[in-house]
Amino acid sequence: MNARTITHAQLAALVTDLVAAGTAVTAPARAADGRLDYRHVARLEDAVLGGGLPRLSLKALFLPPTEPLFSFRLSGPDVAIDSVPTSFPPHVVLGAVPCDAAGVQALDKVMDWDYRDELWFGRREATTIVSVACSSRDEACFCGATGGGPTATRGADLLLVPLEGGFAVEVVTPKGEAFVAVHEERFGSAPNEADVARSRATLTGSRVEPVAPLAPVTAWLADHFEDPLWADVALRCHGCGACASVCPTCHCFDIVDEPEGVTHGTRRRNWDTCQAGRFTLHASGHNPRADQHVRFRQRVMHKFSIYPARFGELLCTGCGRCSRACPGGMDLPEVLRTIAERAAAPAGGAA
Amino acid sequence: MRELRDLAAKLLSEGTVQVVIGWEDGPRGVRPAFVTDPAAARNLVFDERCTQNLVPYLSPRRAHVAKLGRPAVVVKGCDARAVAGLVRETQLKREDVVVIGVRCGGVVADPSSLEALSPATVADRCPGCTAREPHLADHVVGELPPPPPAESRRDARIAELEAMAPQARWTFWQEELGRCVRCHACREACPMCFCERCVADKTQPQWVESSPHPRGNFAWHVTRALHQAGRCIDCGECERACPVGIPLGLLNRKLAQVASEQFGHVPTDDPAVPSPVGAFKKDDPQEFIL
Amino acid sequence: MNLYEPYLARVTELVDETPDTRTLRLAFQEPELARTFDFKAGQFGEYTAFGAGECTFCIASSPTRTGYIECSFKTVGKATTALRALNVGDTMGFRGPYGNHFPLERMEGSSLVFIAGGIGLAPVRSVIWNALDLRDRFKNVTIVYGARSVSDLVYKRELAEWAARPDVTLRQTVDPGGETADWTGDVGFVPAIVEKAAPSAANAYAIVCGPPVMIKYTLPVLTKLGFAADRIYTTLENRMKCGIGKCGRCNIGPVYVCKDGPVFTAEEMAKLPQEF
Repeated sequence: MNARTITHAQLAALVTDLVAAGTAVTAPARAADGRLDYRHVARLEDAVLGGGLPRLSLKALFLPPTEPLFSFRLSGPDVAIDSVPTSFPPHVVLGAVPCDAAGVQALDKVMDWDYRDELWFGRREATTIVSVACSSRDEACFCGATGGGPTATRGADLLLVPLEGGFAVEVVTPKGEAFVAVHEERFGSAPNEADVARSRATLTGSRVEPVAPLAPVTAWLADHFEDPLWADVALRCHGCGACASVCPTCHCFDIVDEPEGVTHGTRRRNWDTCQAGRFTLHASGHNPRADQHVRFRQRVMHKFSIYPARFGELLCTGCGRCSRACPGGMDLPEVLRTIAERAAAPAGGAA
Repeated sequence: MRELRDLAAKLLSEGTVQVVIGWEDGPRGVRPAFVTDPAAARNLVFDERCTQNLVPYLSPRRAHVAKLGRPAVVVKGCDARAVAGLVRETQLKREDVVVIGVRCGGVVADPSSLEALSPATVADRCPGCTAREPHLADHVVGELPPPPPAESRRDARIAELEAMAPQARWTFWQEELGRCVRCHACREACPMCFCERCVADKTQPQWVESSPHPRGNFAWHVTRALHQAGRCIDCGECERACPVGIPLGLLNRKLAQVASEQFGHVPTDDPAVPSPVGAFKKDDPQEFIL
Repeated sequence: MNLYEPYLARVTELVDETPDTRTLRLAFQEPELARTFDFKAGQFGEYTAFGAGECTFCIASSPTRTGYIECSFKTVGKATTALRALNVGDTMGFRGPYGNHFPLERMEGSSLVFIAGGIGLAPVRSVIWNALDLRDRFKNVTIVYGARSVSDLVYKRELAEWAARPDVTLRQTVDPGGETADWTGDVGFVPAIVEKAAPSAANAYAIVCGPPVMIKYTLPVLTKLGFAADRIYTTLENRMKCGIGKCGRCNIGPVYVCKDGPVFTAEEMAKLPQEF
């Protein structure tokens, strides 16, 4: 697919076009407290592109924190179900960070596992994701270890790479190609390849990744379900689930019936977390994961062992939000490095 | 710091405690440390980055910490109030923990920050602190640093909110609480949220809706604020733990002001002072009783 | 319509098995569904009490008996309390059938040994009736069933039917102290009664379900009797919500109970991490 370009002015006009046509545009933007969140914007100037990681990931756009599954009406012995829409109005995400776009794509696997989740895919189909190359990695980021990077395109329909006066536009998917075709007049011709290469090189830089590629970690996890490591690394974990809420790929949810009156209500799915004590609590009172260190083990296992074994990809994109959000000072890159060291230690030797 | 490290090593090697819960340098700033080996006591630090309240780790529900054995915990003056609160509400026996108090000159709001303590970086609770030398302690270590920067943005912010018309205040809280995703980090990080089964988790009946929509979020946060009224020790952990930046400190601080005005109660590290919700005095104001 | 919407079903019969356990028979309201609904013994569903929520139960009736499905449950919490409040004629919801099944097709031509304890008889009962409705495809049929006390025995009327059949060997037992004056069955824990009954392992499969402690002590007895680990089947319970592998709640290590189970062989169970 051809690469194109877009100037800042044309991008601003494109946003105006989209909004005028009734398409919602979501971009990183400042909340009242000055922090970045993915928010609806009416104009490009309200967006902050390439300016850092929004607080919550893109996951909330496709799996909202709370989502109605259907409503019900009770009338004597009878019940009527009112369905919710499974197709959604068009939506463009402008300025997705590459690790967030990658997270959305990773989740497609479980959402399509034998049963196709119409709500997830309804939102996916309605949404075009335009990523912007990342220039704000910090010491918590480890996207490289998960196969990502500042100019990674996984999950994106288009990738914008900064150039003087605008962006190079890499067309990643047929949906991206169709988007460009519909808004043809906003896009310029192909960029100067040398300029793009220079921009990419600047973004990639000479950063030393804090975590090495994760195959040895995945291999170690398959054989170390019981290991003293788990009790050591999770002592400071509060079991609060802040990590799961900011994570682009954590997707565990609860299903509840919420009466809204005596005779009607809504069934919802709500974000949940394996880190909560009650997550696996049986009605009998038995809890298979009764301690925080085994709950932390589950999180690491799910992301780096169980999901890859089942679906061939990691359930982590190295965005680093979990480490930044953790009030207890847990650090996932450090845990992964510790496991990698143990994996590399000679068999029988001191780890 | 040397005093703290020597004391920790001594307590461990003499077998007085099996674990010292303090702070250490981690990959991203200061974080809790669980020192069981006297030789590792040299990792312990105390400085203006030691924001986190370590008292939640004393909860018996943290079985994997309790398994380590009898603890010592390092506390600033504000943290010591949490120990007092747990003793006051019979969640902890005073003799089951060794309390190491550190003299404190204020801490930054963000323990992963590299910036020095200043009016811009100081935690909300520090200005005007009257607990810089913990009283509830078996040992007190360290030199008393200069007092923290004096400016308190928080009380000014509360005054601003109170001056708003109710509709404007409602809009403010809708926007703030609307971001809540019900992760309950505020609850898990709080030393005084120790209920084995939180009211929000009860299902028969469902007192508080569990969904993160505005109605459910209001129910949760107002319930929690009221359950903390007169009990919150103002350590700031709830607000620091919140991944979406809800200014919970404003709610808790406001109710603490009410507790002070109405019942003369201020957070204290004296466990003998009864909690306003746990004790009734004959001269308690009653004009709200109709 | 999305995959989380349940089918509507009416309660057509209810039976109190014990003071806290009830069986409901459901008929789907949509006529075409009522006609065509099919499942395999061992599969489970998510049963809705509208307003209270969903419960995960096995389908306790046999797929050979069409036009209805059944579930049996103990009242333990919010949703089961709401289910218990339903009367004949009331509407419930059902999502399913989910999960894998007892591979009866593999067991044809062999003998079957059913072992159950307490309400664990519910999923086993589905297979028992499935086999008895196709009786000539199987050789010997042995059932060992026990509960804490006589009043805790479930499906009492069916136990009487099985006891009366010449082509079924039934041993009923209650825990010591659980017998009544007129009890004519065994007294003893289920694993001990299995050992006493000593069903032959020759060309036989065992299907076991009950409280974890019962399963734990029954498996070595079966091994001693000569049952290979891949000829002993059980069904696992774990906390489940969506039933379709998406909510992330039910996994035991790499195995999802709702997708890879709930039916497992003893051989597969031995490989599971200790997390259930």
